[in-house]
Amino acid sequence: MMADPVFWTALINNVFYAVVSVIVQVSGALALAAVIEGLRSERLRGILRATYFIPSAISLTVAGLLFYFIYEPELGLLNGLLDSLGLNQLTQAWLGQENTAIWGIIAMSQWQGFGYSTLLFAVAIQRIPSELYDAAAIDGVGGLKKFWTITMPLTREMTGLMMIVTVAGSFQVFNEVMVMTSGGPNNSSQVLGTWLYRSGFVRNDFGYAAAIATVIFVVTIVLALIQLWYGRRRRVEW
Amino acid sequence: MVTKTMSKTKFMGSIGRIFIASFLLCLAVVVIYPLLWMVMNGFKSNGDMLSSPFSWPRELNWQNYVKAWNRGVSSYLTISILVTVTSTLTTILISAWAAYGLTRVAIPFNRLMTTLVLGGLMLAPAVALVPLVKLFQALGLYNTYWALLILYTAFRIPFCTFLIRSYMLDLPREVDEAAEMDGASPAATFWRVILPMCRPIIVSAVVLNVLFTWNEYLFAMVFTSGGDFQTLPVGLTSLMSKNGTDYPVVFAGMVIAAIPVVVLFFASQRYFIRGLADGMGK
Amino acid sequence: MKRRTFLTTAAAAAVVTMISGCGSTAAAPSAADPQATVDYSGTLSVLTKFGGDPLQPYFEKIAKSYQKMHPEVKIQLIQETDQSIKDKTKTLTASGALPDVYFSWTGNWAENFVSGGLAADLSAVIGPDSAWGKTFGAASVDAFKFDGKYYGVPLYNDAKFMGYNKAIFSKLGISVPSTFDELLGVCAKIKSAGYEPIAFGNKDGWPALHFVQQLLAYNVPAAILAADYIPSTAKFDDPGYVKALGQFKELADQCTGSGAQSNGVLYSTAQQALASGQAAMYYQEILEFDNVDAPANQISKDGFGFFQLPAPSGASGDSKALEGAPEGYLINAKSKNVALAVDFMKFVTEKENASLLSSAPYGQPSTVLGAVDSSNSSASVAAGVEQINKADVLVPWLDTANVPDVADTWLSATEGLITGNLTPSQVMDQVRKASAGAK
Repeated sequence: MMADPVFWTALINNVFYAVVSVIVQVSGALALAAVIEGLRSERLRGILRATYFIPSAISLTVAGLLFYFIYEPELGLLNGLLDSLGLNQLTQAWLGQENTAIWGIIAMSQWQGFGYSTLLFAVAIQRIPSELYDAAAIDGVGGLKKFWTITMPLTREMTGLMMIVTVAGSFQVFNEVMVMTSGGPNNSSQVLGTWLYRSGFVRNDFGYAAAIATVIFVVTIVLALIQLWYGRRRRVEW
Repeated sequence: MVTKTMSKTKFMGSIGRIFIASFLLCLAVVVIYPLLWMVMNGFKSNGDMLSSPFSWPRELNWQNYVKAWNRGVSSYLTISILVTVTSTLTTILISAWAAYGLTRVAIPFNRLMTTLVLGGLMLAPAVALVPLVKLFQALGLYNTYWALLILYTAFRIPFCTFLIRSYMLDLPREVDEAAEMDGASPAATFWRVILPMCRPIIVSAVVLNVLFTWNEYLFAMVFTSGGDFQTLPVGLTSLMSKNGTDYPVVFAGMVIAAIPVVVLFFASQRYFIRGLADGMGK
Repeated sequence: MKRRTFLTTAAAAAVVTMISGCGSTAAAPSAADPQATVDYSGTLSVLTKFGGDPLQPYFEKIAKSYQKMHPEVKIQLIQETDQSIKDKTKTLTASGALPDVYFSWTGNWAENFVSGGLAADLSAVIGPDSAWGKTFGAASVDAFKFDGKYYGVPLYNDAKFMGYNKAIFSKLGISVPSTFDELLGVCAKIKSAGYEPIAFGNKDGWPALHFVQQLLAYNVPAAILAADYIPSTAKFDDPGYVKALGQFKELADQCTGSGAQSNGVLYSTAQQALASGQAAMYYQEILEFDNVDAPANQISKDGFGFFQLPAPSGASGDSKALEGAPEGYLINAKSKNVALAVDFMKFVTEKENASLLSSAPYGQPSTVLGAVDSSNSSASVAAGVEQINKADVLVPWLDTANVPDVADTWLSATEGLITGNLTPSQVMDQVRKASAGAK
């Protein structure tokens, strides 16, 4: 397995997935939720939360197929958009090249998932007693500072939870890769889950598939233990 | 309204506010536009889509939806609904019952049991794929409705139990004590008192579970063998490969697949968010 | 980690291990007798490759009339597509749910089922001397012969041809190229006239393999190719391999509109480009002819023609070899009712049903003698069949000729060749490595 370059490609792709997802679906979503919850109109807040959530309600298969077409070189929305902006030199077969395929999939996944974590963070922010914000407002504390001193610390539990859920999810990616590229071209967008499937069910090497399964198992167990430890520590502090 | 907010939030320059407003708007466009494009393409004729993929449909070709429906989407939809409804029902009932036992009934090895149930959260579906295929083949359950029902229920119980357990931990003890004084058995307390009190978190759990089951792909792909027995996610990919260049029909199928869960979310939104607010922050 | 932990030798074993790993499932010889008296009752499951338009109704029709004749029999169809049949068959096999009758390519694909004990020996009923066997073209029955025994029911012939738009060719004063270099020259001419020379979509990987295998047949001597299919004798060191891959890369770069981007395009989009008159050529299976040349498409007004991919001059392989093979059906040796399955397949290959298969809208040239002629098939299909019969040798598809992990390596490595990330010799390094690992 150590000598199999595709295994490493897959593992690295999972790591890319995790890093981008943590940036977008944890940090980004927390900031976005704070901005939304800072809006004065309850109605607007509801509309924005719901709008951003819609992609999470449509399935990854639908989203994957949709983005397959969006990235399609001839008919695709993305190249069409670049063309109309006069950026035709940027148009390309996003899913058809080794250096862009996995990023296209990761981008789709962020589109699909950020609304869900934003909603969860919004819920966590709503649980913060509003008196804290009111007091800060009276003291003339600015928005950014409120975010650092009130929102961040008081949503720390949720942030920790989301971090682990997101990272664990990134190591279990399968559906979107299967639908959009099946791991191609030239195995460049392979992730552990799809390489496991392909090794077993396409290449007829179930022993190797089992070995990859072990790697996924170890990664998720380690993350789960971190989560457990994190939860323990929190309980002691409170 | 602008001036009023301005005075209240004087620290945030109006430039910053415009920036934020336009950012939120752009984000909404990024979210909505691809979806709109999907719906539009579902109405186009094939030639229309191939020649001008970005324009509005020239006319509404409802027959794309009819075609998609007749080319398998109707049966995928039926199977998906059946599997989703039954597995959600079994998952929620078992999870709620388990959560009740773990939180409110004095049982031996409570901690160990909790760890065991929640330990299931750690198991990634792909890890168990190969042994599960063997197991289901040996049991003769491969390519049956039961395979999916069992797998979905088994893999979702840990998460749902976790959600409902957190919520139940917060319910006051006095509720049980009052019920006990009235002579209610633990079962009666569960059904008549605790379960109704858990309604918000149950709604959230149902929505999350429907989202999961409706969209599940790995098990659905490996454990069903095509033909008429396919759920929507797998069926959509075969619709794609069976339709050659008739892409608008594929888009129509995608829209049909997306609508039920989007509708469910909007219908349950208020409960869903409240349940999450009460249950997730744990 | 050492590969193949619970496998023994050939990749075929993997499939079988999955089944025999779970209890005793040794074939019961009594049930597997194809000559037993037919018991016209029960359910017969059939896995076809005819999913989707326009082929799907064929087996539905046949099953309906068969059930009418034998009301106690229920035919259960699982119809997959060219794209999905591989994964589906593997999953079904791995889970011991392989249907009574199932689609198979020739070559290593079929051999896996034979060596895994999953294909019933049909020599007694379909061998060349049997009454049923004599109704087929001999070569197509032979394509399913392993170790002197006959296992498959060939249904139709398939081969790969370059389809072209006659109007574009004549407008530009181009005649059908007779060498590979001429083809490249033709491409340049077509390109400067504003058309896409060869429409090409390689999202699924196999369209490139089809070009490659035809070029391999031209560049690598047949005996070496045959030895390289089998991992224990494979060397993959003939210089023809690198040459052929180089030629393919030239073609992809100079002739296709999508070039290095081709991995992002669906083959069906490419097919559509020829059908709608946007592209001058599209490399296709004979099975696609009627689909491309359908009356609603621009090409049927412009005129649809086809030619065999021209061979490079002076290549050291067989310049007359044509990539193609019959495709057919195997009968599950573990089926409870092999005799019924045989009877059903006899019905499918009756002259009348064979002619139906060969005619529009199905357009699948039947292997049954006399079933394809200009009276029932489109002119292109009939002409294509004539070419198949004229070909020196039929070369099987690359991905079915090789063992699964070598085939899969060919597939992903040629994707890398198209994008320019791999050179031809790097592709061959990967193939050699996979082949060595499959020993």
